[in-house]
Amino acid sequence: MTAIAAAADTRPLERPHRRITAVSAALTILIVAVAVVAAFPLAWMVLTSLKTPQETMHVPPVWLPASPNLEAYSKVSDVVSIGRSFFNSAVIALVTTVAIIITSLMAGYAFAKYQFRYRELLFALLLSTMFLPPIVTLIPLYRIVGYLELTGSLWGVVVPNLANAFGIFLMRQFIRGVPDELIEAARVDGASELRVLFQIVAPSVLPAIAALTLFAFVYHWNSYLWPLTVLQGNADQYPIVISLSRLLSYNRGAMNTGLVMAGATLAVLPPVVLFVILQRFFVDSVISSGVKG
Amino acid sequence: MHLLRTFARAAGTAAVLLSTTALVQAADVSFLTHWGPDTVAKLEAAAAAYTKDHPDTKITVRAVPFGDLLTTLRSSGGGADGATIAGIYDAWLPDLSKDKLVAPVPDAIAADTKANWPAGVIGAASIGGTLYGIPNEIDVYALNYNKKLFAAAGITDAPKTWDEFLADAEKLTDKSKGQQGFGMINSWAAGVLHPFASLLVSNGGELVVDGKPTLDSKQATETFELYEKLIKSGYSDPAMATADANTTGPFLDNFVSGKTGMIIMANWWESALKAGMGDNFADVATAPIPVGPSGDTARSISYSWMTVVNAKASADEQKAAWDFLSWLNGPSSGPNGASAMGDILMSMGILPSRTSDGAAFKDKLEGDAFLKGYTETLANAKGFPVVLGGQEFSEALQKTLEAVQFGQLSAADAQKTAQSDATEILTRAAQ
Amino acid sequence: MQRRQTQSAVAMLAPATGLITVFVFVPMLLTLWLAFQSWSTQTGFETARFIGVQNFIDIFSNSSVGRDFKAALLNTLIYTVLSVVLILPLSVAFGLLVHQKLAPGGIVLRTVLFSTYMVPMIAVALVFSKLYSPTEGPLNQVLGWIGVPPQTWLSSPQTALTSIVILNVWQQVGYFTVLAVAGLTQIPDSLYEAAKIDGANPLQRFWSITLPLLGNTLLFSAVIAIINSVQVFEPVALITQGGPVNATNVLTYFIRRVGIERAQGGLGSAMAVTLMLSLVVAIAALFALARSREAKSA
Repeated sequence: MTAIAAAADTRPLERPHRRITAVSAALTILIVAVAVVAAFPLAWMVLTSLKTPQETMHVPPVWLPASPNLEAYSKVSDVVSIGRSFFNSAVIALVTTVAIIITSLMAGYAFAKYQFRYRELLFALLLSTMFLPPIVTLIPLYRIVGYLELTGSLWGVVVPNLANAFGIFLMRQFIRGVPDELIEAARVDGASELRVLFQIVAPSVLPAIAALTLFAFVYHWNSYLWPLTVLQGNADQYPIVISLSRLLSYNRGAMNTGLVMAGATLAVLPPVVLFVILQRFFVDSVISSGVKG
Repeated sequence: MHLLRTFARAAGTAAVLLSTTALVQAADVSFLTHWGPDTVAKLEAAAAAYTKDHPDTKITVRAVPFGDLLTTLRSSGGGADGATIAGIYDAWLPDLSKDKLVAPVPDAIAADTKANWPAGVIGAASIGGTLYGIPNEIDVYALNYNKKLFAAAGITDAPKTWDEFLADAEKLTDKSKGQQGFGMINSWAAGVLHPFASLLVSNGGELVVDGKPTLDSKQATETFELYEKLIKSGYSDPAMATADANTTGPFLDNFVSGKTGMIIMANWWESALKAGMGDNFADVATAPIPVGPSGDTARSISYSWMTVVNAKASADEQKAAWDFLSWLNGPSSGPNGASAMGDILMSMGILPSRTSDGAAFKDKLEGDAFLKGYTETLANAKGFPVVLGGQEFSEALQKTLEAVQFGQLSAADAQKTAQSDATEILTRAAQ
Repeated sequence: MQRRQTQSAVAMLAPATGLITVFVFVPMLLTLWLAFQSWSTQTGFETARFIGVQNFIDIFSNSSVGRDFKAALLNTLIYTVLSVVLILPLSVAFGLLVHQKLAPGGIVLRTVLFSTYMVPMIAVALVFSKLYSPTEGPLNQVLGWIGVPPQTWLSSPQTALTSIVILNVWQQVGYFTVLAVAGLTQIPDSLYEAAKIDGANPLQRFWSITLPLLGNTLLFSAVIAIINSVQVFEPVALITQGGPVNATNVLTYFIRRVGIERAQGGLGSAMAVTLMLSLVVAIAALFALARSREAKSA
């Protein structure tokens, strides 16, 4: 998760003069074209999940199912335990996200508002881990998690991800913008540092927290390599993305396209739904000033 | 401050609690397999029947896709948390036993196993005379062909020699229809290697003798050249040969839809063919591998699977595991004197290797025209080499053969590379 | 006051720093150490045997491991470069489409584009493998409608890697579009007004105002795109398995295959170290390039 929650426009679109010029018509066509191409694979995925097995194998390809049916979806639940997989995915994503928010707030606050020796050096060191692809540490990390006796369980998946450099970076950027007077006032009133952080500072950076929530949740919901390595065949601990690969070997693969697409549709739903909900937060207030520099 | 400490402590306690392997009550046996859900259900039913009579043994099945099976085994190796029982492919045994991940079969059960299985599979399941697993599945390769396409091309019988094979491939190739005479396979190790190896042994050659690769032999030269000819003449189209991670894909689709005249494949793909072809499955026939110029009789490649037990599991778990396996593979667990394992395998269209299972399922086997072509070949089949470094050896040879398929390497260069790679890998692994 | 701050600082930093140290720094140092050892991933660290730079010699040699590694390195390089070269310009173009106010639909487009980034990579890989199917997939069919012959996509060594690049671009471009829009938002309208008064046409305004001022955003995007691309795994693991003929063998996949599947921990770590160094070099080069551009235009 090395990406910045940058995001969107800070001000709402002004009502333009809607003159239908050639330019605006061309632009509209372009916008529609790009949107269609971007949406096409997902649309194909959903449509195929509603087709019969014969329709999925048909040459030339059939685009629209003659009579859409949910057969594939009920088959999916025969092959993998959907409820259990979703639960596992949710546990992994939620626990990690909550932990990341807490640890990032705490560390970000310290970097933004405290003075101490080696502050910049430590920050730079932590930040450098943002640029490390997970594969580089996979092998020893796997053994370390083994020493902690966490392999094969959801905790093994979660524990190495409870803190994240990007989250710290984001929180530091935004907490910098919180007025010192606010913090001093709370301290003068006798609040402990934790209180100050969670009751005063956090509410002031809610948009950043919303952004971090979205990214952490989606990243860990979709995460494949690490859970695959740690869970070692413990199928009832599998998150939905790994359970999907079991669909591939169903029936030695013959005529399972619809099944696989149905499973993929199910896996895609939660992140996309969450995105649609939280997207509003960005439009309302996340400033791209977080991206500067 | 306090909040933090409480949180940390709670998390730590929860971690310990949730991660510790469940409170062991007697023996917790887990069974790792690559089987699909239908088959897993059958295995679980057998396990339930066993547990009824042996209530102190709890058996859970862990299924992973075939592509992940070896990785799962290896990543869980070195820990008591790994699966107690695993179904493994015989080529993996030497490396697993070298890393001390598998336990030898207890003497009593070993004696019984040796008495009830053919020498070939016993050999594949042993290292230096010690038996490490109970064999179950045996797979062999045969020539599959499309009778309809044969008739349309005016061919009456399956080719018996390489010359006939090449002639038939030419007749069956029709670029305008997108039809290829002989289908190769790529992007999947077994799919690339085993058909090649089958042709090699049918030409009197071998892959490995006494631990040393023999890919520089005259018989191997002829086999490499056969492949080169098939590609150069256009009788095989590599773009039609792709396999997905789940061992299906275009190579299967093309045979199913009648775009491939002949292909060499294993018996277990019968269910995929039936599912894909429906009624047209009746057009499929099987025959022994064509004999090469340096060969004397039709031979084929076989390989087997077996169940092994995790050497790092506790003594109780290991004992419970062997007892269960002995029952599962024994004549009392399945219908009509067959074993439950044999029954499970037959449901997938796979040949069980236990001698008594062969007898128990005789009628079914003989009645199945598709499988008949395979059971006939079994007698003359050579096991795919089971050596240290076997997996790496396979993958290296796979890449070389794929290079030949895509015209990136000549037969001569491919042979040189294959032999030197194999020598280097096998010597390194033997250290 | 200072003392209490340090104490509080320690307390605030402890969880994050502790976790990152244990689960990122320590493994990173271990990887560096293991690269010089002969070690089986099945066994504990105490069995590691020092062998100097032998692992590095092996992975760059002409043995089968060496050939495969060099192929993986090259493929990852090509994949990354292609991805960045496609994603950056597209993100700017789409960013302009989203940001402009002449035609409606900018926000809808942004939502559609960004949502593809939320889709799990495995779902993307599975869907595209079906889309790319030579006979049953719609892509070849659509190409047929406009008179283009069917492509081999994932079935041929020449086209397989590019096919995955396309997949990657589709998934990521929305995210980088949002970054571009953020960058575009920061460019003050007054600059454009001034340029318009000076008589500059839209193309000129783009080249002399938009692009230079997007410099920082583009640099940042490039770095992130490189790091994302290097992590490609699911399409290869699920669909191509490194084939055909090593055409899609990429570093993440190969390191996992050697380091975990074949349990050759030393070799795997040597590869990982090489990857790390390559990244450092690439990113440093990018920053140097950016700085020299700045110096030139200053």
